[in-house]
Amino acid sequence: MIKLLFFTVSLTPAATLLGWGEGLAWPLFEGVRLTLDLTPLSAFFLLLLAMAAPLVALPMLRGTADSPAFVLFGLLLLGMQLLLLAGDFISLFIGWEIMTWSSYLLLLRSARTDLETAQSYILFNLLSAFLLLAAILVFYRFTGHFEIRTAAGLTDWQEILLALLFGLAFLTKVGTLPLHLWVPRSYDQAPDAFSAFLSALVSKMGVYGLVLLPTLFPDALAGLLGRLLDGPAAGYLLAWIGVVTSIVATFKAISQEDMKRLLAYSSIAQLGYITTAIGVGSSLALGGALYQALVHTLVKLLLFISIAGIVLRTGQRRFNDLGRLMERMPISFFGVLIGIIGLAGMPPLPGFAAKYLIFVSLLDARWLLLLAAMVLASTAAFVYCYKLIYAPFLGHANSASAKTATEAPWQYLVPQLVLMGLLVGLGLFPGLGVRLLIDPVLIALQMDPLGSPSWGELVTPYGGYDGVVLMVVFGTAFVLVTGLFFLLRGRMRRAGSPYDLSYAGEVPTAETPLHYGAGMGRELRRIPLVGWILRHSTQGFYAALVRQTRTAAELLSGFYSGNPQAWVLLAVLVFALALQASIGGI
Amino acid sequence: MLEFLDSPRVLHGIYVLGSLTLFVIGLYGLLAKRHLLKILISIAVMELSVYLLFVGLATSPGETAPILSDGLRAFAGMADPVPQALTLTAIVIGMAVLALGASLTIQYHRLTGNADVTAMTELKDS
Amino acid sequence: MALPLTPIWFVALPLLVAFSSPLWARLRLLMPLLLGVPLTLLVLAIALHPLVRTAPLVETIVIAPPLGIHLQLDSASLLLIALIGLASALVAAFLWLGDTEAHLRGRRAFVLMLLLIAGCNGLVLTGDLFNLYVFLEIAGVSAYALSALRQDAPALEAGLKYLIIGSVAAVFFLFAVVLIYLQTGSLSLGAVASSFGEIPGPMQILIGLLMLVGLGIKAELFPFNFWVPDIYQGSHPAVASLFSGILVKAFLFVLFHLVFVLLADPEVIRTWLMGLGAATMLVAETVALRQQDLRRMLAYSSLGQVGLVTLALGFGSEATLAGGLFHLVNHTLVKLLLFLLAALMLRHLLSVRLADLAGLGRVMPLAAGLFVLGALAVLGLPPLSGFVSKLWILKGFAEAQVLWPIALILLAALIEAAYYFRWIKTLYEPRAQMQEGRPLGHWVYAPVVLLAGLLILLGVAPFLVQDLFIEGAQSLLARDVNLEAMLGARP
Repeated sequence: MIKLLFFTVSLTPAATLLGWGEGLAWPLFEGVRLTLDLTPLSAFFLLLLAMAAPLVALPMLRGTADSPAFVLFGLLLLGMQLLLLAGDFISLFIGWEIMTWSSYLLLLRSARTDLETAQSYILFNLLSAFLLLAAILVFYRFTGHFEIRTAAGLTDWQEILLALLFGLAFLTKVGTLPLHLWVPRSYDQAPDAFSAFLSALVSKMGVYGLVLLPTLFPDALAGLLGRLLDGPAAGYLLAWIGVVTSIVATFKAISQEDMKRLLAYSSIAQLGYITTAIGVGSSLALGGALYQALVHTLVKLLLFISIAGIVLRTGQRRFNDLGRLMERMPISFFGVLIGIIGLAGMPPLPGFAAKYLIFVSLLDARWLLLLAAMVLASTAAFVYCYKLIYAPFLGHANSASAKTATEAPWQYLVPQLVLMGLLVGLGLFPGLGVRLLIDPVLIALQMDPLGSPSWGELVTPYGGYDGVVLMVVFGTAFVLVTGLFFLLRGRMRRAGSPYDLSYAGEVPTAETPLHYGAGMGRELRRIPLVGWILRHSTQGFYAALVRQTRTAAELLSGFYSGNPQAWVLLAVLVFALALQASIGGI
Repeated sequence: MLEFLDSPRVLHGIYVLGSLTLFVIGLYGLLAKRHLLKILISIAVMELSVYLLFVGLATSPGETAPILSDGLRAFAGMADPVPQALTLTAIVIGMAVLALGASLTIQYHRLTGNADVTAMTELKDS
Repeated sequence: MALPLTPIWFVALPLLVAFSSPLWARLRLLMPLLLGVPLTLLVLAIALHPLVRTAPLVETIVIAPPLGIHLQLDSASLLLIALIGLASALVAAFLWLGDTEAHLRGRRAFVLMLLLIAGCNGLVLTGDLFNLYVFLEIAGVSAYALSALRQDAPALEAGLKYLIIGSVAAVFFLFAVVLIYLQTGSLSLGAVASSFGEIPGPMQILIGLLMLVGLGIKAELFPFNFWVPDIYQGSHPAVASLFSGILVKAFLFVLFHLVFVLLADPEVIRTWLMGLGAATMLVAETVALRQQDLRRMLAYSSLGQVGLVTLALGFGSEATLAGGLFHLVNHTLVKLLLFLLAALMLRHLLSVRLADLAGLGRVMPLAAGLFVLGALAVLGLPPLSGFVSKLWILKGFAEAQVLWPIALILLAALIEAAYYFRWIKTLYEPRAQMQEGRPLGHWVYAPVVLLAGLLILLGVAPFLVQDLFIEGAQSLLARDVNLEAMLGARP
């Protein structure tokens, strides 16, 4: 009964999206009025929310009803809707904060969450929130209102200050370098189904904010510092932040030994692409960013839910403890397969369309160095994608639980199937996605729509492709290769002979702990730059910050000595000094 | 010979000096003594110095106490009655605080066996 | 019998009931009366509200022609009176329903608490400096005794320490009052205010500083607030909730009332007060990071909030004043909630140290959940009331184009979050078994849940009460009107 109610609650974003009438308003107090309204941009993100909420809610329904978690999830949905519908900054902030604390409390529902993770999650997110509040107040000071609309008549430095504050706030939420410390830990340790929501949606709210930024300032980022090559100079900085984030996070992801941590780093990397695209700021780039946001939401939901199913059935998260699950969990296998194809941005799935748009926009801005760096990151991403399918599903089962696992329960499978369907459908018809979802937003942002001649086609000034054709080609190739494999399999089995190298030593049996992917990524440390990146982290800096604060606390607590005479002495001394200072000064 | 003492300025100066000395003595006791009762006494001395200052400065030489009796019906040639009344009230209050303090000290001593202010370390930052 | 509805009841009723306590003890009416008296005062305050809106209510009770008790009730003090009534009624309800320790339900606690209420009401209402001193001592003495009520070593230690530092504060304050009388020949606030500007400059500074030290100690401002954590830790949490909830608030109000009435131009002291507030806030929040005892942590957090309120009130623009008053109310509600929860935890687990509270979420789910709610409200996270008042203050600063307090307030909130969330994390730590004390009934939670409900209500619909705070701020700033009212009522 509670479960049913909860599932209904998870449908509310969809209801809001479909049933939204005219704007709402709620007077908060003197001079502050909350207004809610649905714009095309917020409708886009609300659509993501509406799609994801029930899909994440379904896995949460399994087992005994965890009513506090249900309530918190409901609050989280409420906060996010408020955030997206906000017509003024105060509502935006309220939604932002409700989202922050309810997601934090949900994070605590996991028994694995440790103190450092919880603290880093809440502190970084509150830092982001307070930066946002500071930005809002500065905005208010300059303009005298809280509404989210173009701020006219600001001087240059005012715009830069505002863009900096807002930008930092949203970038923290997105988790770009060097503000990403909280991301891998919390995605890793959160309850399994909830990780999907964190990665797929909560981080998207930062993206929403970043996309809002250009609407706030009339000339977008171009107005701030002028132009560089064919793009805005301020955006160039942002784009580099994004690219560096994706490169570092990609390499970090490759070297992970834990499925959820790998996904967390890959999430950071993917959001790095989006940041880059927003930095470019052209209509192509924003289209790409939105498309990437859409695809990333679907893909990460799919992957995290599939992985959650594996964790549920095996209790293992480390690659080395898994293996050979393909036969035991075939649907999850296909889920992960489709997921990584989308994640890697390979055709024919829509991840390709998104990346294509971003690449083309970089080309258009003639930021070729960035383009090269991004290609590097997205190529390296293949490696971790490969690891994700290879390590759990193929090879050799390495733990007792991996040997006896069964397919995930239906609560996990239904979302997977739905998401697979959506991804394939979107891959077939990339033009449909552009027409239905991206173009209305771009038009609302006063940019040129991307347009597409038909549902199946994606076109850009630099060429395009037809999704249907591509899908047919790839589908045929897949069927052919698989068919050939199964046909030839009988003969391939005989390939091993007593003269093979493996017979030189002992033949590994099913009991031997053996993993083909073991130590993968270890060799990366030998590559000069990559090794340096992998060895370093921002953790030391933040740990030092914490240490300094503790020392300060200890020093200051010396005042609170517990000896009344010291209190009186201090009071008298302060009194005497103040007296001396003020009367002596006269 | 000592008539100059009767001029209000000098007299008030002496009162100020005297009460300030008392105040400082009280403050010294408060800061330097470790026994709880001595600290309470020091506080009482500080309060006393303030009362003395008040009454002293509010009275000019030659004025009598503002008590209406024996046929006196008006406040003529008398000191300002307000400070005297207020001081009386303050003394009563100070008395009450002192009594409370003394009783707490006694209870504390009975319970723990010490009356040293620096030995009160049950409550502190951990 | 028709009793006139005058401000004197706010002081007289608790005093009368307190002094006739043997009767009530015999009739077994202590607890109902402890709840009933503040409730009556609250109702009275609400009833007086329409009257006060039009003009401040001034009452003088003449004892002998120069001596009298001036009471002044304006929108701001009415707010405080209502707050004191509400807060003490809730604590009384908690003591009654909660089946608390015997020493808190006895006659002594009854008398002392009513005295505390009378003292606080007097502090807020009085229009006369010497009476201010008297009420300060009444509130002080009852607070010292309340601290020591449990009569074990920590409680006695707290009581003694409080008594020492409190008496020093009183001496400083008395000194200032004496100097004022000697300089102006008057003690009524109105008369003093109109002639305060004529006092020579250095003497003004001396008086101001003496008052600042005296009231600063009582109102827990930074270089004078080192006593606070000790006292809050040693007292019973329910008593500490009264200290943090009403006593400090009354003193803060007195401090700012004096500032706004005495000084023709509060700007001269603005930097001082704001600096004190900011220092109080930052130092307290930082020190709170390393606390291991819930009561001490709450004490430091209380200091931090007092600093924030001082910062806001010290700035003295209408928006920050209204926001500051609202924050004052919110903080009272929140700290009542948190301290009462601490009392429950202490009773149930016999300890409120961080390490002993691990896993509380499973043993006392309701208490842990309410603690989370309270923490969110202290931190000023929406949709709870702390958010609205903080936003109001911040908006006031932004309107006045002053940005540094905004940065400091947000920084302090971040530090505050660091320790509150550490506690929350610990509460939900998975842990196998916990030692348990006495089981608690359901009714225990009634006052606490009511508080939580109020926090949410004020957070979602603050427009219901906003007029109270705006009027309060205006009446604090309307020096001329106040002076006129006070002087007009002089005999």
